[in-house]
Amino acid sequence: MLETLAQAVINGLLIGGIYALVSIGVTLIFGVVKIVNFAQGEFVMIGMYLSFFLATQFAVDPVVSLVITMPVLFSVGVLIQHFLIRRVLGQNDMPQIFLTFALSLLLVNLALMLFSANYRTVHTWYSDEALHLGGLYIPLAKLFAFALAMVLSAALWAFLHTTDLGKAMRAAAQNREVAQLMGINPNRVFCVALGVALALAGAAGSLLMPFYPAYPLVGQVFVLMAFVAVVLGTLGNILGALVASLMMGVAESLGIQFIGADSGLIVVFLMLLLTLALRPSGLAGGRAR
Amino acid sequence: MKNTRDQKSKRKTRREFLVKSAGAALAVGAFGAYPMRGYAADPVNIGGLYPVTGNLAQIGVGCVNAAKLAVEMVNDAGGIKALGGAKLNLIVSDVQSDTTVTRTETDRLISDNKLSAIHGCFASALTLIASEVAERAKVPLLTGSSSDQLNKGRHFTFTPFARASQFAEAQLQMAKLVDDKPKVAVIFENTAFGTSTSNGLRELAPTQGVEVVLFEPYSAGFTDASPLINKVKASGANALFSVSYLNDLILIVRTVKQVGLNIAINGGSGGFVIPDFYKNVGKLAEGLQGVAHWNHDMNEDAQKVNAEYKKRTGEFLFEYAGGLVAQTFMIAQALENAASTDPQKVRDAIAALDLSSGYAAMCPGGKVKFGPDGKNIHAHPVGVQWQNGDLASVFPQADARAPLIKT
Repeated sequence: MLETLAQAVINGLLIGGIYALVSIGVTLIFGVVKIVNFAQGEFVMIGMYLSFFLATQFAVDPVVSLVITMPVLFSVGVLIQHFLIRRVLGQNDMPQIFLTFALSLLLVNLALMLFSANYRTVHTWYSDEALHLGGLYIPLAKLFAFALAMVLSAALWAFLHTTDLGKAMRAAAQNREVAQLMGINPNRVFCVALGVALALAGAAGSLLMPFYPAYPLVGQVFVLMAFVAVVLGTLGNILGALVASLMMGVAESLGIQFIGADSGLIVVFLMLLLTLALRPSGLAGGRAR
Repeated sequence: MKNTRDQKSKRKTRREFLVKSAGAALAVGAFGAYPMRGYAADPVNIGGLYPVTGNLAQIGVGCVNAAKLAVEMVNDAGGIKALGGAKLNLIVSDVQSDTTVTRTETDRLISDNKLSAIHGCFASALTLIASEVAERAKVPLLTGSSSDQLNKGRHFTFTPFARASQFAEAQLQMAKLVDDKPKVAVIFENTAFGTSTSNGLRELAPTQGVEVVLFEPYSAGFTDASPLINKVKASGANALFSVSYLNDLILIVRTVKQVGLNIAINGGSGGFVIPDFYKNVGKLAEGLQGVAHWNHDMNEDAQKVNAEYKKRTGEFLFEYAGGLVAQTFMIAQALENAASTDPQKVRDAIAALDLSSGYAAMCPGGKVKFGPDGKNIHAHPVGVQWQNGDLASVFPQADARAPLIKT
């Protein structure tokens, strides 16, 4: 019983790490640029396909392919901010919502056209291996993904708190007008925010590839959880999103284990509703950081 | 919908038009929709209804390849002798994995062409509709679909292969090959397909002496199979029946391996017994079991057709495609016996078939004779196992072509 419980918690934490990479991207964009990126899941999908083709064409290990998918998606993020999002920032919410929503639909359907709906998997030496500790097991592919997700989150945290650019991003998130008065160029900061967020999505794609099949709609599986985590962890709060993602992974896993395999999401959304009822602005309260 | 699309395309550029029409011409050519001309005797039209676009296209395209191969085989062997060596002319129609399209396409296929018989659809939801249309038009339809509903109140529909109800029984009996006292965990996606299939398994289990220790619906499209497999592990099952589509099944198979759980997995039929499954799962598929209504290692004839199909497509002849070759030969034999292209007479000849040799009898058990409900009275499923990237028949004893490998 205790072993089953421990195993359920481990499973939840591991998948929670992946949710975290996606949700941190969403919350970063929301915190800094103040728009909701509905296409975040599709960038995970692009990251997966990139990793897949690097693995099958050039024999690059999916986890190693991070060093390619992250810069590629960073550039995509900068371009999207500069040529698309910048144009609608002065507008009201509707054009912004439809911009990212349209982007999501476009990317899914492009992927369907280019890659068809088939599942693509990459098989690495660690794809099916696991560490066994007593009766517990930790799948290697997920352990790598979790560890790197935590490293990347920590790196982002350090970047935001120690570098000038990171501080400028936080300043822009807190008060755009004042930041501008202090000489911060908002478009430059927004470009970096989009770039970093998409790079995280690309990382999530690479890290998923050894254990999850790629297909055009794969982003939507993860983005739902990411949005819940973003709201649960207080919009715009990176640490909140990280903690909320891990909590949700564990809640989902416990729900499946002890209630029923079709009730994982029920537990997650129940947790969301309860949190919103008690703390309407999310776990981290009113502080957006 | 179609009209607006047509109007729009008129406004498009000439280059686009040229590219598209070239594509259309290629597509029509590739599916052999042009009637062949120049034979001494008038060719005999038979229709093929398959989804070559949409989400069922993977299997549908394989079926069309097999259907074309079968027609070539009949024609190369001299066509229908009773009709002066008339050649078979296959007219394929794309039903697009969509029930509405299936209705109109079946209707169109029958009213535009003088058909003697139709084969097709494989997917139950589509076949049920095509069969209704064919019944009304009084054209015989042969199908590899396993839906039991096709055998109710129909006179022009014939099902040469095992029925859905027989699949569950075979799957349960296979569990006994693995262990004398099978304890089965049934996990299934909580959809109509998953629920009905697994309920069938649960109801039959006691009659087959199989204990179901876990009966667990799950939400399709999960991010992680670990908690589910954790449950299977805790249940103490020694066999796992997974009623799942490909994506979930890949995760389930991988997770079982990671957990180091020693359990015999039976993935059932459909998407589990096609070449694509192995492509995705790779070596992990080795030793996994399933059930099929047809397998390419059944007899020499089947192996011969399989070799030719493999040469053309690079993949082995999977159940629907292989069964379809047999169906084409059943139609050819019925045409031979009826000595007529009249669909009513062909229907009567199919109903009177009693075959035990040749390509037409290429099915588990090797015999074809239809009962009044259109069911082949000799039909039964075969238990299969992935061995060395290929599907080997392992059950029942009479149909086994390779020993079951215990995993």
